[in-house]
Formats: sequence, C-alpha cells, structure tokens
Amino acid sequence: MSASNPNESPVSRREFLVRLGVTGALIAGSGLAAKKLWQPKHFVPGFEKGKGLQLRSYAPEISKVLPSLAIAHGTEHEKTIRAAMSALGGMERFIKRGDVVMIKPNVAFDRPPALAATTHPDALRAVAKLCFEAGASKVIVADNPINSPTGCFFKSGLTTVASEMHLDLMYPETNAFAPLSLTGEILKEWTFFNTPFKKATKVIGLAPCKDHNLCHASMTTKNWYGLLGGRRNQFHQHIHSIVSDFALMMKPTLVILDGMNVLMSNGPTGGRLSDVKPMNTIVAGTDMIAVDAYGYSHLLERDIAELTYLHKAHDRQLGNINWKDTLHKEVTV
Amino acid sequence: MASEKKSGAGNRREFVRIKIPLAERIASIVIIFAMAGIGVAIAIKGRHFDPNLFAVRTDSLKSTASAVEGKAGTARSTPETKPAAENSVAAKPAAAEEGSVEGDAEGATAAPKPAVKGEPLEISLSGLKPMSATEFYSADNLFEKIDGRAPAYQNYNVVQMRCRSFNVVAAAGSYVDVYEYRFDNPVDAFGMFALERDPKGQPLDFAPDGYSGEMGYFFRQGTVYVQIIASDMKAETIALTKAIAQNRAKELPVDDSGLAGRRKLPAAGMIADSVSFVPENAQGQSAFKDVFQAKYKFEDAELPFFIMVTQPDDAAKAWKSFQDFCARFGKTQSLPDVSGGRIFSGQVFGKWKVVYQREGELGGVFDAADESKAQAFVEKYLRGEIK
Repeated sequence: MSASNPNESPVSRREFLVRLGVTGALIAGSGLAAKKLWQPKHFVPGFEKGKGLQLRSYAPEISKVLPSLAIAHGTEHEKTIRAAMSALGGMERFIKRGDVVMIKPNVAFDRPPALAATTHPDALRAVAKLCFEAGASKVIVADNPINSPTGCFFKSGLTTVASEMHLDLMYPETNAFAPLSLTGEILKEWTFFNTPFKKATKVIGLAPCKDHNLCHASMTTKNWYGLLGGRRNQFHQHIHSIVSDFALMMKPTLVILDGMNVLMSNGPTGGRLSDVKPMNTIVAGTDMIAVDAYGYSHLLERDIAELTYLHKAHDRQLGNINWKDTLHKEVTV
Repeated sequence: MASEKKSGAGNRREFVRIKIPLAERIASIVIIFAMAGIGVAIAIKGRHFDPNLFAVRTDSLKSTASAVEGKAGTARSTPETKPAAENSVAAKPAAAEEGSVEGDAEGATAAPKPAVKGEPLEISLSGLKPMSATEFYSADNLFEKIDGRAPAYQNYNVVQMRCRSFNVVAAAGSYVDVYEYRFDNPVDAFGMFALERDPKGQPLDFAPDGYSGEMGYFFRQGTVYVQIIASDMKAETIALTKAIAQNRAKELPVDDSGLAGRRKLPAAGMIADSVSFVPENAQGQSAFKDVFQAKYKFEDAELPFFIMVTQPDDAAKAWKSFQDFCARFGKTQSLPDVSGGRIFSGQVFGKWKVVYQREGELGGVFDAADESKAQAFVEKYLRGEIK
C-alpha cells in the first residue's frame, strides 16, 4: 500500500473523531434548539386565532318592572349605595344565598383614597356588606393594577377593608392568567386575569368616576381594562375601540359608579385634592353604558357626544347611551 | 482503503484516510441536508413574528418583577401556553432589584428603549422611613406607573421619573409618596408643572412658583418637577411632607435656563396660581413660542399678561405678525413708544390686546375688557413701575 495519495488530503484518526464529535454536538444542539422553539399550539395574542376562554354572562334577567339604572344622592357611601341598590330592587335581586361574588374595583394606582383615582374603601365596604347581607358565601376582590398590586391595594385602603370583612383578595399572580378569545373590534385574543372567575357566580364592577387623559373618562366600562394582562398599554392607540370591547367582554351582574368624589382633572392619576370634586352620587345599574352615560354628563359634567367609546358600544347594541330611555329611578338619601 | 505509516513522534501509526466509505458520504450528506433543513425551519419560523421568541429581553422585565411585586402575571405578555416570557420573569429572581420596566414587543409594538436608571431617592429626615425601593421609569415605560397620564409628560419631553414611598413613623399607616419627573430642560419641566398647577395652591416660600395643596407639595427645580403627596391630612404626615419638600428644594440643583421669560413676569399683582407656559402657538400665533403668561390684579381688573424672550429680529417679526393678525380680524392702532418699547393696541372679537416689543422681549396684555387698563399696565411695566 502506498503511504499516501497526493490528490487526497490526509485526515488523522484523531482529527476525524474530533470532527465527528463536533458535528454530532452541532446536530444535537440544533435538535434541542428546534425542540425548544417548536410550538405545536402556536398562540400569539392578536396574531393568530387561539382557543382562549370565553366569559359567560353574569347578567341578571331583564326586568320589565324593576329599574335597570338607579341614581342615588347622598353624603355617605354606605347609605347612598344602599339607597341606589334599594332603588334597583335590593341587592337580593342580584345576589342569591351561597353566591360567590367577584367585585372588580379600580385599583390601578398606588394613590390614597382621598385623591379619587381608585375605588374608595368605603364603597367596597358598603358593597361587600350588601352582598353578605344578601347571602353571598364569599366575596372576592380582584384587580390587575398598573402599579404593584400590593402597593395599590394597600395605599387605596382596600387591603384594610378586605382584612376587616374577610374578603378574598386576589392578586394577579403568574398563574392567574389564561387566554381569552373575543370577537371584539380590537380585542381578539388576549391574556386575561381569569382565576377570580373560576369561583365567581356573580360579578360586580365597582368603579370610581374620573377624568382620563387619553379617553376622557374612566368609569364602569373602562374598569374592566384591569382584567387584562400583558402589555395592555399598546391598546391605548385604539383606546375607544378597546373600551367599547369591554362591554362585549363582560356581562356583569351589576355595575356601580362611585361619584361621591369625582376626579375632574389630571386623570387617571390625579394627585391633588383640587382635582377632586364632591358630587355625592352613586349610580348603579345593569347596563354599564347607561351608567357611564349618566356619569359622564352629570358627574364629570361633560358633553356625552365626545365620549367615543360609549357611542361605539351603543352602536354595537352593547348598551344604551340614552340612559333616560332606560327604566331608571333617582333617589336622595 | 486506508494506509498507515509510522509516526515520527512515537510508535503510534498515523491514520491517513484516502478513501471515504459510501456510508460515511451518505451520512455526511444527510447531516448537511439536516442542518440546511433546520436552517430553513428557523428561517420560516422567523418570518412569523413572535415577540416571545424574538424579543425576550430578560433585563427588560426588571422593574415589573421587583417594583411591581407580585405582578409577575402581568409582566408576562402572553398566556400560559407560552412559557418563554414566564421563564424570563420567574427564572430571573436576580432581576428583582431597583430598575425600570422594559416592554417586550408584543404585537406590532416595538420594545421601548432601555430604562434610565439613576441614584436612589435618599431622604434623611427624622421620623421618615423608606417604605419601598426607589422606582425608576423612562419616558418609554412611564405608563407602567401612571398609565394614561404618561403621554402628557411625554409631550414635554420627560426623560426619567423616580419615585419612592416613605412611612411616617409617628403616624401609623401614613406615608408620603415622592415623585421626581426629570425633563430634558427647565422650560419643559416648567411647562408640565404649569399644566397641572392647582388653581387653589398656596405659594411656597422655598421654591419659586411652587405651591402646596391640602395633601401635597408641588414645584419645579431645575429640570425636575417634584410632586410630594401625603397619604392623609394628619398633622404629622403633613409636617413631614413639607419637610421632604424643603429637602428636595435644597438638594436638587437650581437651573432656570430658558426661563428668562418667566423671570421677567412681574411679581406685583400676580395671581400666584395663574402662571402658565405655552410652548408654541400662543395666542394662536405660530411665531409665539415658549411663552409665559399670568393673570394680574390691576385697578380692579384681572388682566392676562404674557412675555416671550427671543432674538430681537424674531421678536420684531412676531410683533409685526401679531399686529397684522389683529388688523385682519379687528382693528389696531399704534401707541407711543415707552422706554424703548413699541406698542400697538388691537381689538379682536371684542377683546383688547396691548402688545409691546422691546429688543428681544415681546409681551403684553391680551383678552382685556378695558383698553385703557391694558395700556396702562403695559406702559407701567415698560417704565419699570410694575416689578
């Protein structure tokens, strides 16, 4: 045998083994990377259709006798909320014995209650009390704030109320979210704060009435924004569309608009007491669009024509912006 | 076949391959094709934008994992079916330190720029105890803290916000929130400060233009707009809130560059809460930029007065342009010069304007009901009788 063939480059055994090892490692690495990247159930919010959950309706049966909207004027949260609920036929109309009630406050910011940027603790206390009186077995309080949940709940005073009244305070933990599917104008597939809804049999939205820099006002409809997870601020570009989608997403048992102290300017955060105006009003109802229509025109004292998201929701028959056309009752404590 | 030869280095024979077996060649081809296939698969996958695969920046989730304690669920930009972002938060506890949130690019939204970090907000005052770590936010992720209010600050070129909460030791459950919004220059800081001015605020003696409300202190110092907000109106809380405000006014560097117009606004008769800043298009005039204005009590009337400081040529052009505008929509007349300032008065839509220009300074009374009072105010100002 000849020692070597000059036309072929010699490869030593060691080099061959090294090459073999390197090639094998590359293949193994590529395989692992491919496995890591592979997603048989591809789901990217807003990009592909997924199979997210769909919320059921928590809305009560429509009554032809009892009002669907109540406006109560008073100076104390509990008395005024009681008056509003009485005008609607009592909390018993909505909450039955054994119900697990999920109350969705607006706790978006770590602000003290006096600044009216968040649901007032007295409002939560009053609503929770009414729920228990109606026979609720449990009251859950849940929100996914903009800021730190613990800080927001603490500074808004809701942690104290939850502790006092043994409410089940649910923070947006990592595993509390699930994909939601909706045929909204903007909202199609999105991550949603779902855990509270696994237990709840009734849902109450409890929102402050306040100015909002981007969409003019944050009331009961926009309050549901706090159930979305992810980088939800990107919807700000289409804020009126997304807010109107909430009327499709949520069919709550009841919504309550706290207009006792209204953040009239520099919303949604506020920061000064001078931004806050006492309006001494609670609006409760089953149609969030009607409730917000009253809130915008009578509490924020603005022209309803400019509030696009209410018109969008109305046009999509998700509510009635003409609150005067609904069966309503106004009382004073 | 392979041949063997003696190795010069030792007894082992060097292996030299002169022929590659068919099986090996086939295996090589398979490997090459497999690698090409993997490359194509990655390329195809890459064509479908998936932010969780291609925009995961673990460092970008720092503040959501820390400042927003317990909010990891929110930090995740995708549902549970997507583990990538979850890993990036949950598996990175080391990220739980001071810092700001970065956005991962979800949907078509690009990831915000990295947050600007800075010095922690340290305030050493008796009776004050930090309640949390300092949080930092950049213009791009300010929404993480103030949500829909952020665009208003972005309009004035906010650069960074840092904030921290402090417990009031003497008042259980009470706290004070300190917010410091840093802008790109003092004028923008003043602009945002003026936009949010409390009409009922009480003037501060330790911070020019600053004011206190029932629950807070607000002022601009240099490029920083400071907000100090008490949790309640307990005496201990309010006292410490004021002490913090004084501390910040002392600690933050003074810089009034670009605020010459503000400094020229006379103090006598000024309604303290009326000072405002109009960055552009003041009085509906495109030439009126960086205008400072305030209301004055003068001879039983309330007169809005503005000042703009610029180059003399620009001031002259703006003055002439405004005069032409008033003539087009109303009537004007030239008034005698006073102390080097030329003046015209005009009535537009039933309201009087008396406007002067002196070198690079342009100003005057606008929207006055009484021409004579407006003229008297401007003339006294030019003569230095109103300071």
